[in-house]
Amino acid sequence: MRRRRTRPYIAAREPGADHDVLASAMIAWRGPVEALLTLSLRGLARRCPAAFARLGDHQASTYLLAPADMPIAFTLAPHPQHGAIRVVRRGAAGVHIARVSAPLVDLLALFDGSLDADAAFFCRSIHVEGDVGAVMALHNALESADLRLVDLLPLPAGHDAANAILARLMRAARRRPASGWA
Amino acid sequence: MLRAAVEAGADSVYCGLRDETNARNFPGLNFDRAELIEATRWAHERGARVLVAINTFARAGQTDLWKRSVDTAVAAAADAIIAADLGVLAYAHQAHPRARLHLSVQAAANSSDAIRFYAEAYGVKRVVLPRVLSAPEIAALIKETPVEIEAFVFGGLCVMAEGRCALSSYATGRSPNLSGVCSPPEAVTFDRSPEALTTRLGGLAIDRLGPGDSAGYPTLCKGRFDAFGQTDYLFEEPVSLNAMGLLAALRTAGVRAVKVEGRQRGKAYVARVAAAFRAAIDALDRGDDTTRFERQLTDLAEGGRETAGAYRKAWR
Repeated sequence: MRRRRTRPYIAAREPGADHDVLASAMIAWRGPVEALLTLSLRGLARRCPAAFARLGDHQASTYLLAPADMPIAFTLAPHPQHGAIRVVRRGAAGVHIARVSAPLVDLLALFDGSLDADAAFFCRSIHVEGDVGAVMALHNALESADLRLVDLLPLPAGHDAANAILARLMRAARRRPASGWA
Repeated sequence: MLRAAVEAGADSVYCGLRDETNARNFPGLNFDRAELIEATRWAHERGARVLVAINTFARAGQTDLWKRSVDTAVAAAADAIIAADLGVLAYAHQAHPRARLHLSVQAAANSSDAIRFYAEAYGVKRVVLPRVLSAPEIAALIKETPVEIEAFVFGGLCVMAEGRCALSSYATGRSPNLSGVCSPPEAVTFDRSPEALTTRLGGLAIDRLGPGDSAGYPTLCKGRFDAFGQTDYLFEEPVSLNAMGLLAALRTAGVRAVKVEGRQRGKAYVARVAAAFRAAIDALDRGDDTTRFERQLTDLAEGGRETAGAYRKAWR
């Protein structure tokens, strides 16, 4: 495969975010969340190697996923063997290939493919900055894996009941008024 | 997306290999050889067909990649190869005489003479018509055509002569015809400020959107530009083809299959569009009215706007 130079995208600091009490609490308790999500990510890499292969060079990239309604964000390094998800302060500077921000429920709906990414982008529900090709590779890889919400948890394959509960929670969350952090 | 289409009722699904031999060569979108074999097996178990797009134009002196793609598609037991390049068609016809060949819209064959040439020279069994003919023109063409005709009914429109667009290559050095990608994502940037979102392609500003404006993927043909003191679309406005209201007419004209554009779109889009057209065609089979399906997909249309395009040439 021809190597392609990827452009790092350096996020600017967002004023005012550093002093948020809720963000501090979430950061303080990030350990278990990071461990759980990283375990899930690596389990997915074992179950869906073809999906991770679609990332190509971007297996070595780091993405920033920023829920618009939370004071924290997530970095995603989708390496098939050493992948990791970290919780970071929303305003923290960092080097990442691209930034995707949207309400949390929309990010989750993009994860399981229930939200059409193009339609969400057209109506400005999601925002993309940085390397658009990297974001496209991630989106297409996720779509090819046919993921469900329950795949965010490090459970063995199956668990229809757990997925049904998560899907119901997400439908309820979509009916609540949106709140924005940006 | 292939599974979503089949589960939603699609009879056939297009796909491509992970290289520039297909006109949707976007990062992470396409199949490698092993995935294609598995996807074809999965689709066949459910009674669906897999059509492999090898529909870009092979580079002179580097045609081996296109030949290998043809060989891969045949080895995967794909139901048809859809191609546009004469050399690719010739190779497929000679090396795999039993392989079914379809002619891509990229060949822009819009006359019975052109279609007859491809049928006689390469054994093409089906032709995808370019989106330039009216419904009566299609009916007249089919009367003189010995092969099956497939027509687009939903999705993005390409205002250029199909297979011959130079806009993307002008802005980025890569084109849908040769590289399989229109407006490649690595050339796209979205610059956000409190006042506006500026979309750029190859550094060229394609559009500048206010906070309430809907966005689009920056292609030169759908950009807005300043000219004579006005800012407006120069080539075409963001709009999607929706020929749901013409299904009966297309069937009467003899169209054998209808095609949904959007292989690069996600599962949610694919499933909804496939399901809507499945339901409409089944209703047509029963002799039911299909009017209720005509507005079901408006929210998926580019810019929220739909058109029957050249099928109803209202501007003449």
